[in-house]
Amino acid sequence: MAEAGFERRLERLFAQSPELPDYGAFAERVEHRLNRGWTARRWLIGAAGLVGGVIGASQLVMSNLVERVTSAEESARVLGQGLSRVSPSTDMVSALSGGYGVWIAAGLAVLTMVFALSRVIEEL
Amino acid sequence: MPGTSTTFASLHDVELCSHAAVGERRAFGELVRRHGTAVRYLLRRMGAQAAEADDVAQDAFLAAFERITEFRGEGTFAGWVKRIAARLYLRRLQRDKRLSAFAAEGGEDDVEAEAGDADRRIDLDEGLKALSPAERLCVSMCFGAGLSHGEAAEALNLPLGTVKSHVKRGLDKLRARLAPADGTVQGAVLEGRRGNG
Repeated sequence: MAEAGFERRLERLFAQSPELPDYGAFAERVEHRLNRGWTARRWLIGAAGLVGGVIGASQLVMSNLVERVTSAEESARVLGQGLSRVSPSTDMVSALSGGYGVWIAAGLAVLTMVFALSRVIEEL
Repeated sequence: MPGTSTTFASLHDVELCSHAAVGERRAFGELVRRHGTAVRYLLRRMGAQAAEADDVAQDAFLAAFERITEFRGEGTFAGWVKRIAARLYLRRLQRDKRLSAFAAEGGEDDVEAEAGDADRRIDLDEGLKALSPAERLCVSMCFGAGLSHGEAAEALNLPLGTVKSHVKRGLDKLRARLAPADGTVQGAVLEGRRGNG
């Protein structure tokens, strides 16, 4: 009984701690380290997203995208001409194929890839 | 953001943890302000020098922030951080090969000569100085960080019986040295005065 009483007293004594004079400065140091770590992490995520985007874009370029786009445009033009004989409403297809549709799609794909990669890394 | 600190100061520990869990670092700063002293004291009582205690306490709070979602408010926030800090300190002792020296020493009874001082009122920190490093470590871990004997044995990588005898010897010495009265330290603050401690 006396043993348990002494142990409780000891726990109370351990829970008591005179406030140290620099408790505010200590908290600021911890906050500073937290902020520093956070900034570094954001830079890392941004850099990883950029690298991922550049790699994605370079992969698109390396895969003979220009040639493929040219041949796709050619095919679409032929297809459009064929369809125009069937129906006049197929003008839209040839407008897209002859314009910047594919390039806009490729650009959007790169942007989406950068965004998705950044989110994935941030979640990790 | 004006008034943010005032807002955080009025919040309970668990609410501050919720804010910290979504990345609000100022909320966590308030927790550090509240419980930093208690964690630093625990490490000093475990035997760390002031500078080392501060280093480990900082690391413990950073680790706590990283793992804040693991804290579910079942115990006290201070108790949770203290356990993290105690384990970090032990890891540091192990890394520096100081822990084996603690464990190896036999806990010789060096308090006998002063046992007659029981009437003299001394505080816990003075009392702990009479303990061997291993006794001090075990007593602080069990009564300061709230670890069970088994958890302390696991953290120290010592047999359970060894930890129990270190604790028993430490308690005997402290009992002989601490005055029988309540022993409340003047000007001391009880942790958790504004929260769940």
